[in-house]
Amino acid sequence: MTAPTTVPGTSRPWLWMLPLGAVLLVVFGYPLVEIVRLSFTDATLVADEPYSYTAQTYRSIAAGQDFVSTLHVTFVFVIFSVIFQLLLGFAIALLVDTAKRRGLRGALVTRTVVLAAWAIPGVVIGVIWSLLYQESASGILNHLGGLLGLGSDHAFLSDPNTALISVIVANVWRGTALSMILMYAGLQTVPRDLLEAARIDGAGAFQSFRTVVLPVLLPMITINLVTITVETFNTFDMVMALTGGGPGTSTQVLALGIYDQMFVQLGLGRGAAMSVVLLLINLVMIGIYFRHTSRREARV
Amino acid sequence: MTTARTAPAPRARPASTTRRSRARRRWQNAGLYVAMVVVVALFAFPLLWVFSLSLRTPQEVVATPPPLLPSELRWENYGHVLATSDIGRYLLNSLIVVAGSVAGCLAVCVPAGYGLSRLRFRGSGVFSRLVLACQLISPVVLIVPVYRLFVSVGLINNYFGMILVYVAVTAPFLTWFLRNYLDSIPAQLDEAAMVDGATRWRALLTVVVPAAAPGIASAAIVVAVLSWSQFVVPFVLVDDSNLYPVSVGVVNLQQTTGEVTLQYVAAGSILAVAPVIVVFVVLQRYIVGALTAGSIKG
Repeated sequence: MTAPTTVPGTSRPWLWMLPLGAVLLVVFGYPLVEIVRLSFTDATLVADEPYSYTAQTYRSIAAGQDFVSTLHVTFVFVIFSVIFQLLLGFAIALLVDTAKRRGLRGALVTRTVVLAAWAIPGVVIGVIWSLLYQESASGILNHLGGLLGLGSDHAFLSDPNTALISVIVANVWRGTALSMILMYAGLQTVPRDLLEAARIDGAGAFQSFRTVVLPVLLPMITINLVTITVETFNTFDMVMALTGGGPGTSTQVLALGIYDQMFVQLGLGRGAAMSVVLLLINLVMIGIYFRHTSRREARV
Repeated sequence: MTTARTAPAPRARPASTTRRSRARRRWQNAGLYVAMVVVVALFAFPLLWVFSLSLRTPQEVVATPPPLLPSELRWENYGHVLATSDIGRYLLNSLIVVAGSVAGCLAVCVPAGYGLSRLRFRGSGVFSRLVLACQLISPVVLIVPVYRLFVSVGLINNYFGMILVYVAVTAPFLTWFLRNYLDSIPAQLDEAAMVDGATRWRALLTVVVPAAAPGIASAAIVVAVLSWSQFVVPFVLVDDSNLYPVSVGVVNLQQTTGEVTLQYVAAGSILAVAPVIVVFVVLQRYIVGALTAGSIKG
């Protein structure tokens, strides 16, 4: 007579989540449990080799010099990458936003060119920069360095003292794109009338930036910080193509160290323990992200 | 307090603007132009340089000092790379896997995003946060258990296996984007369709999806770009070079060429990014929208 009492789909909302849930369970859920389990074993990557449970893996990676150096490299890589990506991204976002408001031509081109790096696969960025860092005098960066009086014989990637700096520079070039676009999006949410009011009250540009723009932008800055920090911690492809972690282990970031431990040294248990360390770092960032977004939702 | 610098300038000044402040504004604009030129130069240079390397003779690649421009445009370098390496094959593989991933991701995320937007149920908040958390987890952490699982079920060296992981890795972004985007589509739309007798599923496909098409398309482009960039996943899950996507293929190319053949590495790199760069430049308006919409609401 009338419509059915339950609308199909509404009565079983979980059915709508089922495909997504299943995919995430296979690719995230199960592997995460498995990696934690494996981290407490002495397993190797060699198939079917028997292994036993042990808590030694963590003790042994903590004692090993290579892991300590990997962590050190990773933190230097992340801290400097993130600082410069944030500052550069913010500066360029301000530049594009201001230029656009003033109706200057080129604002959109600037945004497009900077953001293009986001679309380029990390490995290709690694290859591109390895070509720029060509170490003979025929390398373009060496040539430009010579023109500027900075010397034209830099061993950008094969000198352990400069390799990490070179990798960071390439990573800043890569990651500024995302940082810029997030800050740019944040700037679009700054209420114009507030700025106008501040100006009428006699606030200078710097003052109104500090009292109007920055508070509005703060949540976005946090989201940006978390995003680029996670991206940088998880970087694998670009460094792989640029230095492969070398020379020695001078640019071996955590993600590369995990790969090396598992697939080169075949130490599945130890590699799993290192993965758990990266996972814990990821979880901390997730926690920060959630705390921040939930506060924002509550406020809105 | 009245010394304004080049920071965010308010909208057009009132008519009483003096000549002096107009002059100052002109100087500020000049400064902005200079800054934009510097930024564009810094960010465009690496790709332009590699493009110019890709058109050089072997002598020019190792010449000291490096000539700024190639003496002649050797397009045949591209022909050489296409003929002697499998990069054409790799490009095709990437295309297949990206197409499969976008389709798969939409199939999985449209119902989920819709459900999270329209249906209120216990656990929906926790579920959507778990999905978001997945976005921040490194594929490097997952890939070995996935590899072992795929070995045991025969999904190694398999398009479907790759696509499955690509879908999972890009799904958190798409789900959250769709959840937020569908919130902006009035619920009366699907309710009206259901009053007319359509099931919710039918209402989604015939009414909501068409209304949301621009947003869905934008997000699908982002998923495509992200999938094109995937590296760790195929690097570990595929060892048959016939199935390499172009990201893995480029590393192969880099490792198998020497100093005097850098022009071929450069050409291979340009081939690997050309498709995404073209897509990006043509569709960047949509990409910017999708990238930022997902994050504004967190």
